[in-house]
Amino acid sequence: MIADLPSLLFNALVWGMATFLVAAGLTMIFGILHVLNFSHGGFFMIGAYVAHSLTNWSAAMANIWGFLAASVLAGAVIGLVGLVVDRAVFRRLAHVDGAYVLVATYALLLVCNGFVKLVWGLNVVSASPPPELFEVSFIGNLVLPHYSLFVVVAGVVVFLALEWLINMTSVGRLIQAIAIDPWMARLLGVNVGLIYSATVIIGFALAGLAGGLLVANQSLSPDLAGIFIIQAFGVVIVGGMGSIRGAFLAAILLGLVDSFGTALLPQMPGVLFFVALAAILLVRPRGLIASGRLS
Amino acid sequence: MTKLTRRALLASGAGTALALSAHPRIVVGQTNEPIRLGVVTPLSGPQEFIGSFVKNGAEVAVDLINKAGGVRGRPLALEFRDEKANPAAATTVARELLGMGINLQFGTIASTVALAYGPLMQAENGVNLTCGAGSEKINHENYSPHVFRIGDGTYRMRAQARMMAEKFPDVTSWTGIIPDHEYGRTVWAIYVDGLLEFYPKITGKQPQIVDPIIVPYGSGDYRNFITQAARTPARGIVNATYGGDAATFFQQARPFGLFNNRVLMDAANEFIVANALKAQVPKHWTGTHWYYAANSSPISKTFYEAYVAKTGQKMPMGWAGEAQAAVAAYAAAIAKTGLKGLTFDTVTGARTIRAEDNQAIKDLEMIQIEPDAGSDVGFKVSDYVKIPGAGVIEPATPGKAMVLRKPS
Repeated sequence: MIADLPSLLFNALVWGMATFLVAAGLTMIFGILHVLNFSHGGFFMIGAYVAHSLTNWSAAMANIWGFLAASVLAGAVIGLVGLVVDRAVFRRLAHVDGAYVLVATYALLLVCNGFVKLVWGLNVVSASPPPELFEVSFIGNLVLPHYSLFVVVAGVVVFLALEWLINMTSVGRLIQAIAIDPWMARLLGVNVGLIYSATVIIGFALAGLAGGLLVANQSLSPDLAGIFIIQAFGVVIVGGMGSIRGAFLAAILLGLVDSFGTALLPQMPGVLFFVALAAILLVRPRGLIASGRLS
Repeated sequence: MTKLTRRALLASGAGTALALSAHPRIVVGQTNEPIRLGVVTPLSGPQEFIGSFVKNGAEVAVDLINKAGGVRGRPLALEFRDEKANPAAATTVARELLGMGINLQFGTIASTVALAYGPLMQAENGVNLTCGAGSEKINHENYSPHVFRIGDGTYRMRAQARMMAEKFPDVTSWTGIIPDHEYGRTVWAIYVDGLLEFYPKITGKQPQIVDPIIVPYGSGDYRNFITQAARTPARGIVNATYGGDAATFFQQARPFGLFNNRVLMDAANEFIVANALKAQVPKHWTGTHWYYAANSSPISKTFYEAYVAKTGQKMPMGWAGEAQAAVAAYAAAIAKTGLKGLTFDTVTGARTIRAEDNQAIKDLEMIQIEPDAGSDVGFKVSDYVKIPGAGVIEPATPGKAMVLRKPS
C-alpha cells in the first residue's frame, strides 16, 4: 500500500473536491432555510446536461474557456430555476412542518428526472474534457490526469469564493445574521425574504455549476442525480449542517477514508465511508464544525 | 411438482393454455378475442433504459405476428406493467395481471425479480419468461417449473471465456472489474469457470486468475479501483459494470491507460458504452443478445426494419431481440406443443428450451468494438463471433447449485 500512497492521496482529493462541489449548495441552503433539499442532485444533473449541450452546440466551445463558460452558464440557468422553485415551493411551504418540505423536494427530484428523460432521453452519454485538460502528467508512478487536477483546483476555488462571499461581503454578513436570528434581522429592517431568495439562487447555481464543472468526470444518464448525493449528504452532515468550511473539511476527510478504505478492504468497497460517517457522528453529533449557522 | 394442468390454464381466461410439461397439444378457445400477454419490465427506475428496448421489441414482434394473421387466427395483445427492477414492485404488478387472467408474462431482466417470480407463478398458475436475467440460480438451485429463460443465461460468460481462449491463447492471466451485487459476482464466477475449462482445452495452458476488483454500484468515482486494476499483472480484464457505471469506469480509466496492452472483455454492455464514449471508447469485446447486422435471416431483417421504422433507432440493443424471442416462444408454444422442449425461430436463429430446467439453448454472439473517428457514431464493429450454445451450456441440474470450477 505504501507504493500506492501518492495515488490514494491524490484520488482522495479528487473525490473530496468533486463531492464538495456538489455539497456546497446543499449545505448553503440548509444553513439558511434549514431545508434538506433532496432535489439538489436533480439540479446538479440538469446543470451537467445543460453544460454538455452548450459545449456540443458550437466548435468554438471546445476549449477550456468554452468549458468554463458552459459551466457558469449552467450555474446561471439552474440559479434562475432556483428562483422559480423558491417562489413556487419554498416560500409556500415556509410555515408548514419540515416534513412537507422534504416531500416537496423529493417530488422536485422526480420532476428533474422526468425533465431529463423528456429533453435528453434515456441514453448514457459522456463528455470529454476540453483539449487542454485531456492530457496526463506523471510523477514517478503517480498518474495525474489534468482534468482531475482541474477538479481539485475548481473545488478549492469554489470554497475560497464562498468563504469570501460569506465572511467578507455585506451580503454574506446579512446571510449569517439571518441564519442566526431571522426574527431580529427582520426587526432591524433587513429584507429577509430577499436574502432567502438570494441564498436559494446561489445554492441552486452552485448545483448547476458543479454539474458543469464535473460534466466530464462521469457519464451522464437520468441516474446521475443519485450518483453523488449520498456522499454529498454525508459531507454536509459530517461537516456540520450549514457549514461551508465544515463541508470542505469533511469532503477531504471522507475522501481519505473512502480512498484508504478501498485499499484496506477491497472486498467491501465503500463500507468504510459509512462506518466513518457513523463514528464521527457518535463523537461529534453536530459535525466537525458545529456552528448551527452558516459559516 | 407443478400444479399446471390444461384445465387450470384454460380457465385462466386467455384460453391460451400452454402445456408446460405434460400436454402435447394446446387447446385454444373458439373465439377471435386477442390472446393477452403481460409484459412486466422496468419502465422507470435505473433499468428503464433496458426496459425501453424490451417494450419496443415486444410491440414490434406482436405487430409483425398480428399482421401475419396472429396465432391460430387470434391476434396477440400486450398489457404492460412497470416493475421498476424491484422484486416487490414486480410481484405486485405481476399478481395484478394474474388477477386479470393474464397468466402468460415476460419482460423480466433483473435476476432478483426473476428469482422472486417462482413461488408466485407456481401458486397462481402463471408463467414467466425472463428476457435476460443472468443469475445461474434461476435454472439451478432456485429452479421453478413456471419460470423460463428464453435467452442466453449463465453460459454466455462461458462462451465469452471460450472465445478469449480461441482468440487470445497467450493472454492467460485474467482479472475482473466486478460490481458488488448478484449479477457482478455471477458474471465473474461463471467467466472464471469458463476460463478454467477452455484455456487448458484449447491452448494447453492453465490460466492465472487474479483476484477481481470489486467496485461499488452507482459510483461517480472509480479512480482508486482503476489504480488497483492497473497494478495487477493481469493481461486480460473482464468487465461486469453496466450502463452508466461502465461508461464512467471506461471514461475515468482512459488517462490511466488501464486498457492499453490489455484485452478487455465486456460482459454485456453491447453499444451502451460505445454510444456514450464514441471515439474515446477503448477497443473491446462485448457480449450481445442479438447483433442485428450479423443476423441475416428473414426474421431478423424484418424485425430490424420494423424496429427502426417504429423507433428511429438504427442500433437497437439485443434486449429488443430478447423480447422478440419471448413473443415468438409464446406464439410457438400456443400454436404447437407448449414451452418445455420447444424449438422456435427468433431473430438470432432457432432456440430450444431445455425441458429439464427451462433454459433455452441459443447461439451466443460477441462483437468487437473499436474507436473510429471517421464514423458517424465514433466507433465501429470490427469483428463478430457466434458460438453455438450447445457447446458451452452447463449441464441441467434443476434444484441443485451449479458446480463451478474455481482457481486452485
